[in-house]
Amino acid sequence: MPLLNLQGVNKRYGGTKALDAVGFAVDGRAIGLLGPNGAGKTTLMKVLLGLEAPDSGAIQVLGLDARTAPTAIRGKLGYAAEGPGRLPGLSGLESVALAGELCGLRRRVALLRAHDMLDLVGLDEARYRPVETYSTGMHQRVKVAMALVHDPELVLLDEPTSGLDPESRDELLDLIVHLRSGGGPAVLLSTHLLHDVERTCDTVVIMRRGQVRYAGPLAALQAQTPDRWAVRTARPAPALVTALAARGADAAAADQAEVLEVALPQGAGPELVWAAAAEAGAAVVHLAPVAGNLEAAFLGAIAEEGA
Amino acid sequence: MRDEVHAVGYRRLDEPRPVWPGWPIARTLLVLAWRRRATKLGLLVCFGVFGVHGVWVVGQLVAKRYFESKANSALLGTDKLVGQVHEALASYVSVQFFTTALVLAVVAAGAIAEDRRVGAFELYFARPLSRMQYALGKLLGAGIVPLATLVGPAFILWLAAAGIAPPSLRGELWWLAVPALASATLGAAVLTATSVGLSALGQRARTVGAVYVAGLVILAGVTEGLAESGYPSFGYLSPERDLRTVVDWLLQVGNQSVAAKIIPGRPPTNSDPIGSLLGLLAWTGAGLGALAWRIQREVRRG
Repeated sequence: MPLLNLQGVNKRYGGTKALDAVGFAVDGRAIGLLGPNGAGKTTLMKVLLGLEAPDSGAIQVLGLDARTAPTAIRGKLGYAAEGPGRLPGLSGLESVALAGELCGLRRRVALLRAHDMLDLVGLDEARYRPVETYSTGMHQRVKVAMALVHDPELVLLDEPTSGLDPESRDELLDLIVHLRSGGGPAVLLSTHLLHDVERTCDTVVIMRRGQVRYAGPLAALQAQTPDRWAVRTARPAPALVTALAARGADAAAADQAEVLEVALPQGAGPELVWAAAAEAGAAVVHLAPVAGNLEAAFLGAIAEEGA
Repeated sequence: MRDEVHAVGYRRLDEPRPVWPGWPIARTLLVLAWRRRATKLGLLVCFGVFGVHGVWVVGQLVAKRYFESKANSALLGTDKLVGQVHEALASYVSVQFFTTALVLAVVAAGAIAEDRRVGAFELYFARPLSRMQYALGKLLGAGIVPLATLVGPAFILWLAAAGIAPPSLRGELWWLAVPALASATLGAAVLTATSVGLSALGQRARTVGAVYVAGLVILAGVTEGLAESGYPSFGYLSPERDLRTVVDWLLQVGNQSVAAKIIPGRPPTNSDPIGSLLGLLAWTGAGLGALAWRIQREVRRG
């Protein structure tokens, strides 16, 4: 049973098509919902939650039909919205406990659970302060705790790292990795930051202008783009370029003559570079994968169909 | 010293979820209101009104008991001097209606308006909460205030009256509970529905509160003036005058005593209590309608 199964979902706001025949079925512990601003990510999340009704299409979340069982779905989902999502005057602890009670937890259980979740997201004594005094990072932590407090099966995080300083961002991404690898809920992470998805997710849905451009395992997406490696030689080695080309690799000199960026053919590994270097008599002093494979795959996915 | 926080990791929760989600909404509304000084001040005023009427009820019955033991109270004019319990209860409901409106202007004005302003609808409706549960939760939170300031104290006043009344009056006062509580409950319903309904139309608690109190006062003043200047039908537009009419009718308040003239709150009433009752129901319906309209508009679900 896929975690999310959508077929032909359309949603229009006036003249704007927010979701355009969205259809995919994905599974996984952490799903990245990736796309530029205005791609329809937040609308898709709201449609999954039943906060917005789609104009047409079929939606199944955790095997439940969104049209017939919206309340049951919301009971199994946690949601950390991108907006403020807070009640001024309440402390962080009260906010999280209230979120638990709204999901049906008893007051005592909700309070205990709120403490657990605030420990998990790393909000210490500040939990007793009113939420309007919080920094952006604290707000994000509280929102994540509110999304987790009732122990959902799938937690939807809408741009949770936006506005965070690098340290807080790192901690939040660590938390998502922890949830993915531990016994916690599955995560649907909406973001436009490729690095966040690359670091935390095993599955990715790429959206652009309300359409889904890719949905599936992250590894499969990365495999669609050539495996790129940076090769530094002791001296400029034009013979290495020829040797690599003979093996089907595409090598191009970078800014420095002794550095090559090599796109390996499908299925080939770095041993191909070593073999070519041996043949060309080039001394390779550094060989490393080029970061940004997801970026290339992402750009490739959203550039399709002349978009 | 900074606390050291040691997360134990994520634990699954195997817990039944039996709580009706309207209650935490109501409690949160009251908790937030209680943190405002204006709420406590308003409640103090309500307590003062209760105290004055308590002294009135107790005083007249103690006086009645005393004079009954001495001579014929009617001959001594005791009724004329201190009034009747009917009158004291009617005065209490009418006066406390206004003071409770002041408290509700602080407590309930932000019930929906603040949720709109801070974008909290998502916070609520991303959870397994229905629109009806949300509305009932807000109404319950706001409704607890007039229950505590109007209905509860009216019951206490009646209880005190029935308890210390001389035997000759006890039988009559015993049956006064129903009209007293009915009129107080009607006032509470009107106040709750109109305050929450107005909150559903606004977007800032302070503005809604100010408009609510000013609206009640201006409406009462203008319609009172018009009704007494030859346009009696305008009297039915004021919830305060309507309530006064219904209360006097239900409690069968007689001629005004000296005590009732000292404590303000017994001005003229509308001629048709049924018309006033319909007027009150219309105000209640308007408040509930505004609430339903707002929730329907803000939370669009398939």
